[in-house]
Amino acid sequence: MILDPSRYVAPGMAGPQGSKPVRGNIYLPVPAQVREVHRENDLVTTFVLEFDDPLVNQEFSFEPGQFMMVSMPHCGEAPISFSSPPGRGGGFALTVRRAGRLTSAMHRLRPGDTIGVRGPYGRPFPMTELAGSSLLFVAGGIGLAPLRSVIDFCLDHRSDYGEITLLYGCRTPADICFADDLERWSRAGVRCLCTVDEADDSWSGRVGLVTELLQDVQVEADSWRALVCGPGIMIHFVLSRLLEMGLPRDHLFTTLERHMKCGVGICGHCFLEEKLICREGPVFSLAELDDTRNL
Amino acid sequence: MLENFVLEKDHLLPLLRKLGRQYRLVAPVRNRHGDTLFTEIHDLDRVEIDLEHQPQSSLKPFFFPQVEVLSMYGLDHDTSSGATWYSFYPQLPENRPTVYFGVRSCDMMAVMYTDMIFLQSSEYDVYYARHRENAIFITIGCNQPFSNCFCNATRSGPFLEHGFDIQLTDIGDRFFVETGRARGVQLRRQWAYFFRDATEDDRRAQFQAALEARGLFNRLVHVDLVTRILARQEEPEAIFAELSARCQDCGGCAYICPTCTCFTIHDQALDEDRGERLRTWDACTFSGFTRMAGGHNPVDPDRQRVRKRFLHKLLHDVEHHGRTSCMGCGRCVDMCFGGVDILRFIEMVSENETEHEETP
Ligand SMILES: Cc1cc2nc3c(=O)[nH]c(=O)nc-3n(C[C@H](O)[C@H](O)[C@H](O)COP(=O)(O)OP(=O)(O)OC[C@H]3O[C@@H](n4cnc5c(N)ncnc54)[C@H](O)[C@@H]3O)c2cc1C
Ligand code: SF4
Ligand code: SF4
Repeated sequence: MILDPSRYVAPGMAGPQGSKPVRGNIYLPVPAQVREVHRENDLVTTFVLEFDDPLVNQEFSFEPGQFMMVSMPHCGEAPISFSSPPGRGGGFALTVRRAGRLTSAMHRLRPGDTIGVRGPYGRPFPMTELAGSSLLFVAGGIGLAPLRSVIDFCLDHRSDYGEITLLYGCRTPADICFADDLERWSRAGVRCLCTVDEADDSWSGRVGLVTELLQDVQVEADSWRALVCGPGIMIHFVLSRLLEMGLPRDHLFTTLERHMKCGVGICGHCFLEEKLICREGPVFSLAELDDTRNL
Repeated sequence: MLENFVLEKDHLLPLLRKLGRQYRLVAPVRNRHGDTLFTEIHDLDRVEIDLEHQPQSSLKPFFFPQVEVLSMYGLDHDTSSGATWYSFYPQLPENRPTVYFGVRSCDMMAVMYTDMIFLQSSEYDVYYARHRENAIFITIGCNQPFSNCFCNATRSGPFLEHGFDIQLTDIGDRFFVETGRARGVQLRRQWAYFFRDATEDDRRAQFQAALEARGLFNRLVHVDLVTRILARQEEPEAIFAELSARCQDCGGCAYICPTCTCFTIHDQALDEDRGERLRTWDACTFSGFTRMAGGHNPVDPDRQRVRKRFLHKLLHDVEHHGRTSCMGCGRCVDMCFGGVDILRFIEMVSENETEHEETP
């Protein structure tokens, strides 16, 4: 290897949001090992990961809505949200949709392989501020991944939150992710409504856009908060509908996606007007977004 | 308080020779093609330091190189389990004490801006920091601004009030010397015998030169007006569309600009099991800059590709940092063959405004 040991700096993990990280190397991934691989469907797989270093494992913490920059050999890096809740020990989960080079390479991972990760990054969902409210989750496709972290967090702290409803829409039944979790959540008292845009023979449930499911729910402006994640266009229509239903802007939260490279607010890629999504987001309340037409 | 001294012109080379022994020396050098570029000087007697022309390049590549290795990575295969082990080895740049000589005000201000981006954000960029740590800046005020300069309008020149270690002003057969930051004060003290105290005459000559320079700008550029117009949040959509249509996606404006700091991170495989993680300059005018997997692009390249560059410099940085991040160096003017430079944009927006005012 072309290595100069005198230039080696120990990998520094970024500190939690708001804290000043150690002046380590923010671009240096640390190795994490794949413990489990769960295929959600043909395109989507969940990986349970653990750091190689047990001390890092013990120290590592994150919050729902944050993400990691994942490295794969020869593929650079891509941002992926946590899909598991924090505080359970035993590593963390990332759920990945095969979309391009890096995400396809991830789909070839097997237990025991290592990937590189750095993070956690980004502003999480405001779990403390949400405490005491009932929560409406609206997800499209892989957009359920970051919300899964929130839903499981709420179930781990059940008494802090009121009713929980999940509206989940996918293009076809084959695109549904987290089928086991949907059952588990229903058993735990989460009201789960699913719909697909196009049904096939296997499907006996609802057909139509996820916005149509909103007709079946009653939300009180005071006591409910909504968390929305999915494709940009879906986010736009769901948020517009929720506004019509009387929820104030600061009760609506979404997490946004942009092309991203550094994850720490320097490289400039993930801009949305004057904001950088990686640092100021990816979670935003609608009160912070002027216009949702071009997400 | 700033301390003032004088350096006779025939003392300059001997001083630089001294400095060159202790530091790496970087200065604008005119090469055999007639280009003036900031260059590392190995032998002062074999190069022509050029203080007559505006350097075509800025200092940006010294602190933020166009391509930089962030780390090496390697793969090890465990033949028994079939698992792959993947590790990173950082490659930090050398940290070489350097004197940057002959730096113009606009370029010094640009370094202060990039310091803020790389060092004062919530995350700290060790690569930039390594390049930047041991830098000493000897700047030179511009008695005669160059043809595309408009630093008067961006408040970043032609002379500086702060930010330099040492600022020189050409006052005929001698330089007027102001020491600013601590390293400049130390440097002047260390080589005190090259300098003499400034007299009232010297001070008057410096004042005169600085005053006259302000009247010598070629161009009247309404930067303040345009930042005010943009702050009203009325989008000059048609202007963005017209300029976007002429942009040829070359990234030249961003590469040459001393305050454009966007980059990409990517891997370069060396063989199957090894590679380099690189950081490379990027430009928000490239259509791939914001394109996401699957093809969705929140920026319409046909009508908006230059939008972020201009709004970032003239609106977003004003909101975030209280000043434009265009330093008025004018480099992007000569760079762009389609005329898609920031001066053109500022002119179009301000003309648009005056036309509106004239129509009753
Ligand atoms: C905050 C955030 C959280 C995300 N969470 C998840 C998740 O939990 N699961 C999941 O499957 N996907 C997630 N994504 C999207 C995921 O990052 C992209 O699908 C991925 O970057 C595509 O990389 P690729 O190499 O496979 O595709 P390519 O098209 O080959 O992309 C090349 C590179 O461009 C950049 N890029 C391209 N598309 C995107 C994009 N949509 N977002 C960000 N960078 C992009 C990346 O740096 C990527 O490596 C998230 C994106 C963001 C911004
Ligand atoms: S922009 Fe100002 S400081 Fe820069 S070279 Fe021109 S006159 Fe000098
Ligand atoms: S935008 Fe143009 S004039 Fe302004 S600092 Fe950059 S290169 Fe110089």
